[in-house]
Amino acid sequence: MTPGSIGVSPVGRLRRVELRRRWRQLNAESRWGLVILALILVLSIFVPLLSPNDAYEFVDLPLQPPSAALPFGSDHLGRDLLVRVFAAARLDIALAILGVSVPIVIGTFIGTLAGTTRNPIAETVWDGLVNALTAFPEIILVLGIVAMVGADVRGLLIAIWISRWAQYARIARAKSLALRDAEFVQAAQVLGYSQMRILVRHIMPNVFSEALAYALSDFIFIIVIIGGLSFLGLGVNPPTPEWGAMLAEGRLYLRTEPWLILFPGFFLSLTAIGVALLARGLERISKGEDE
Amino acid sequence: MMTASPGSLADRTLRLLRHPVLRRLAQAFFVAFLLMVFAFLLIRLIPGDPAMILLGDEATEEDVIAYRKLLGIDGSIPSQFGRYVSNLARGDFGVSIRSREQVLSIVQKRLPISLWLTVTTIFMTVLLALPLGVAAALYRRTWFGHAFQIGASVLVATPVFFSGLVLILLFAVQANLAPIAGYHAGFPANLYYLWLPALTINFVLVPVLARILQSSIVETSSEEFVEAAIIRGTQGWRFYWRYLLRPSLAPTIAALGYFAATVVSYAVIIEIIFNLPGIGMTLVDAVRNRDYPLVQGIVFLSGLLVVGLTFMADLVNGWLDPRAKIR
Repeated sequence: MTPGSIGVSPVGRLRRVELRRRWRQLNAESRWGLVILALILVLSIFVPLLSPNDAYEFVDLPLQPPSAALPFGSDHLGRDLLVRVFAAARLDIALAILGVSVPIVIGTFIGTLAGTTRNPIAETVWDGLVNALTAFPEIILVLGIVAMVGADVRGLLIAIWISRWAQYARIARAKSLALRDAEFVQAAQVLGYSQMRILVRHIMPNVFSEALAYALSDFIFIIVIIGGLSFLGLGVNPPTPEWGAMLAEGRLYLRTEPWLILFPGFFLSLTAIGVALLARGLERISKGEDE
Repeated sequence: MMTASPGSLADRTLRLLRHPVLRRLAQAFFVAFLLMVFAFLLIRLIPGDPAMILLGDEATEEDVIAYRKLLGIDGSIPSQFGRYVSNLARGDFGVSIRSREQVLSIVQKRLPISLWLTVTTIFMTVLLALPLGVAAALYRRTWFGHAFQIGASVLVATPVFFSGLVLILLFAVQANLAPIAGYHAGFPANLYYLWLPALTINFVLVPVLARILQSSIVETSSEEFVEAAIIRGTQGWRFYWRYLLRPSLAPTIAALGYFAATVVSYAVIIEIIFNLPGIGMTLVDAVRNRDYPLVQGIVFLSGLLVVGLTFMADLVNGWLDPRAKIR
């Protein structure tokens, strides 16, 4: 990571040239998205690390307005809001990544499986199954599963995993339908590879890029769901710093101490906006829409 | 369909059955059946014995048996499913564990508020998204078009529970144009309580729909029939409605149907923020109280609602744009 070692070695220099080339290919939207996300990541790593205050520690009187010592003020229990906002950033981003990564793998696998089968009955049942699962309003299905599994982080993640894989399966199926007669698949069949090997090693990698593009917009949705359910008191529970839970706590002081919701809400929105800009920018590049 | 068709009744019935609308309807029923299966399976996600979870360790044997019966989890799985289906067919969605009231009657009591919220929201959406989308398409190379793109990206990504709180701060606390929370029934008066929640949902919905409308108008304007209309000298409202807007509306209507699920979803959080005692608030309370039958009933009914709305959006779509055939 030190600048010197990268600058000296030829491989490092090549990598830097490559990075710069990539950066130049991006459009304004995706650049802004990357800058915003990098800023939030850096802040979420260093603010809790460098601050003298702990996210759970009572450091001042409750409900103090922003000042030099406490740039974001203190919350209703007298904890440092700045540290809590960025400790929450760590948790929310980590949970959202966890929430996206499991459905993308499961969904892509199931979708590829469904796309390469040639059984007409399986296809009809499949269509109904995915349509039914995606017909439930997202948050209501998540709430329903959380009600059954348990209103905590574990329940929330299970609910997200159960409810989000179908979209990836849909994408993967559409893509693998087009791929199952491709020449490289036929070549693999001629070589006598097993069905499973062709599926996992030859078709899935080609399906994955499309699923990844969707994963960016899904990330926004999942970070909103995590915040939303915690806001309702059914996800991450206090005193753990989490943006949605902090909004729910701060909501009671809306009239007199609005910064309690403005800071966590602003950074939650900023994260989602950063991902949204990046997703939209990349989408426009892949469509060749840029003039 | 109106012409007298030769052939037997069976032939005619067969032809009717192949009608795209009917086929779409059959699909909707199949999906509804699967929704029912999902809702049935939902209660089986509970780790352990639901009756024991609700009653605690000191429960007597009779209590546990009575609760299992109440939850519909006594007997074998197939017999449970059979009972579940036949109860649903009679409109029996089970009994709330908390209030011992019929789930359906609870839903009937709370539904009007949620429906009012949805109707107000959709009305506002059309009012805002149509002019915005058209303007964004016509002026897409000017500063307005660029501001629209950036503004839309920002608004879409802002979570409703944050934008809702900010709107309360601005319009209820600072400007005093809306109540902070609460609801009173009765038509014109309830709009005072509903306009701010509806606006909050539209902060997400309008940018999405206006963007879809914008890009489909741009697409339509390069079609040959538009060129032909211009050459024929069609002008004014007739040109804008018939040749530009009407063929472009189909994707937007389809999207509105697709986003019905999202609206119903966000309405849950909105009802909590604005303290509207609708279905969403009922659901969240039921989840907090572990009122399993009530949760199950609401999840199933909301899925049905979305299937119905999507079906209707498809029908409107086919009417609006002859190119969009119902498949």
